[in-house]
Amino acid sequence: MRYRKIIKALSLLLFFLFPVNFYLIFQVAPTERIMGDVQRIFYLHLSLAISAYIGFGVLFVASILFLIKKNILYDVLASSAGEVGLIFSTLVLITGSFWARPVWNVWWTWDPRLVTVLILWFIYLGYFLLRKSLPERMKKARYSAIVGILGFLDVPVVRLATKWWRSIHPRLSKEGGGLDPLMVKVLLFSLFTFVVFTIALIYFRFRVALVEERITSILNRMEES
Amino acid sequence: MIRLIDINKTYSLRPVLKDINLDLGVGEIFVLFGHNGAGKTTLLKIVSGIMSPTRGRVEGLEKEPICNRIFYLGHNNGLYSELTVLENVRFFQRLFSGGNGDNTIIKKNLSEFGLWQRRNDRVRSLSQGMKRRLALMKTLICDSGFIVLDEPFTGLDLRWKDTIVEKILSLRQRGTTVLITTHLVEEGLRLADRVGFLEEGKLTLIRKRTEIDELQIREMLKGEVCS
Amino acid sequence: MRFAANIFLVVKKDLLLELRGKEALSIMIFLSLLLLVVFNLAVDINRDNVSELVSGILWVIFAFSGILGMGKTSLSERDDDAYLNVVFSSVSMESFFFAKVLSNLLFLMIMELFTIVFFVVLFDYERLFSALPGLSIPLLLGSFGFSVVGTLFSFLSTGSRFGEIILPLLFLPLVVPVLIGGVSSTDIILNGSAGDTPGKWLKILLVFDMLYLSISLILFRYLVEE
Repeated sequence: MRYRKIIKALSLLLFFLFPVNFYLIFQVAPTERIMGDVQRIFYLHLSLAISAYIGFGVLFVASILFLIKKNILYDVLASSAGEVGLIFSTLVLITGSFWARPVWNVWWTWDPRLVTVLILWFIYLGYFLLRKSLPERMKKARYSAIVGILGFLDVPVVRLATKWWRSIHPRLSKEGGGLDPLMVKVLLFSLFTFVVFTIALIYFRFRVALVEERITSILNRMEES
Repeated sequence: MIRLIDINKTYSLRPVLKDINLDLGVGEIFVLFGHNGAGKTTLLKIVSGIMSPTRGRVEGLEKEPICNRIFYLGHNNGLYSELTVLENVRFFQRLFSGGNGDNTIIKKNLSEFGLWQRRNDRVRSLSQGMKRRLALMKTLICDSGFIVLDEPFTGLDLRWKDTIVEKILSLRQRGTTVLITTHLVEEGLRLADRVGFLEEGKLTLIRKRTEIDELQIREMLKGEVCS
Repeated sequence: MRFAANIFLVVKKDLLLELRGKEALSIMIFLSLLLLVVFNLAVDINRDNVSELVSGILWVIFAFSGILGMGKTSLSERDDDAYLNVVFSSVSMESFFFAKVLSNLLFLMIMELFTIVFFVVLFDYERLFSALPGLSIPLLLGSFGFSVVGTLFSFLSTGSRFGEIILPLLFLPLVVPVLIGGVSSTDIILNGSAGDTPGKWLKILLVFDMLYLSISLILFRYLVEE
């Protein structure tokens, strides 16, 4: 079984990556002068954001492929990646909130980047609600692929709009200036860890979803005959 | 001629149609029988181009958007229920032929389908049978070279079934190819030049009308339900 | 012009449907009026704050009333699979979609005019009337964006089980750029903040419209064909 090996390799890799990543974040990375230790959440926050975008990006590409090839595997991949993206974007919003509270003294800030993630979060929540409301399998795949494509294309436009919109309102300026080179290295390692983690999660979820798909199709066939 | 070549359709992971090969001659009426869920509707949708096959292709339909190269009538009638009968007919006439409909022809057609009296009523207020008749009229009056009908007789009473059978038979002179599914054996056999039997996604039988009788079809429809 | 004739045919049919059914437009206008009343009860709009609140209130109403109405207009196509006829006609799926976008745009603009009149009457804010020529551009661009996304999504959601609830949930997050662009440009036109022109906001609206029109024209086919 080829995919067993892939799962094993990915799990093993993550088994080493994660402890190292946390060691780097909490022990090696220098403490930020103004924000203090809280700033360390930034390594996770940014990594989670990138991971969420990877999830939604895979969903986008898989959705296009589904509409072209009409192969249900692409839909299974799209929804698996979407689930991972949704979980990571939820975590982005939560970690962002944890970070904002001690630093800016607010739970939420209407920063363009955060707003973009929040809007995306709503779009993909709608994506899964739509999936739930469509019982017919192929219709579910087609319709949600359309939403997946339109939703992802919204990212740059929302980003631009919120950025300009912010500029006419008072802005919370971010303190600190440039990043320390050591911080950059830790950040890059954290990003790498999370990219591997995301790919692994999407892959695992995809395998499980595929089995679910087979079971449903077998059950349907049994019911019919 | 319309050729179905190796049509396969898989719904999610479940095969619905398996290697369907069929040639339909010009002016031929082909009647497809089969149990519920055998894949009849799926096959008709693929032939009419509103569903793409997983594998295989349909040949012989002109690619350029010539008016009415094909017409498909499914389980739903495809009418605007808030518009009147006449408004529906006028809209479809323009949609399908581009030009303005001739009033005398519209009147003649509506009368033949027993709808002239109700021409100013909203489609919503018509009975099931009337709606079906209007939908069939919409389908049969346009100069389509290939007509696909999914259970055309649903909701029609005996008298109208006969009329519709006559109407479909008269399409032959126009050289229109017709593909029909129905579970009404008698009407189906009156129409058919050839008969097909679809079973679990496979075309298990194709016979000329003269080579098969009503009893055989009835037997097939009755039996093998649990296979 | 075959294309124009086809579009006119479908739009004319939609107007006739609306004339007969009186569903979409009347619901939209009624909801707009109701929302204005509710807004006033919630935030107490008066002479001092009206110019600050007007653009936000108007666009929120446009979005909500609009999506409700567009859900209704798609229902008449989906109910009995009437849209399928287009597949077998000489009218292309693309021109059919474009025609639906135009009919919805027309309904939206009518609803918006009514809302503006209601607003002026209820809150004695005549500035809206005098600024109407300038406002017509963001209104047109914003409504077009609403219409493109709304037409596609309402077609999509009417095919699902609880479409009417799903529709605004899908629609509102996606049109956030239109809302921001519409509110900001309307605000600048009405209150004329120093050195700020509505230009860049109109540009965002235009970009959104073009992007989503082109993508929707491609994707609509996949919505119809199984």
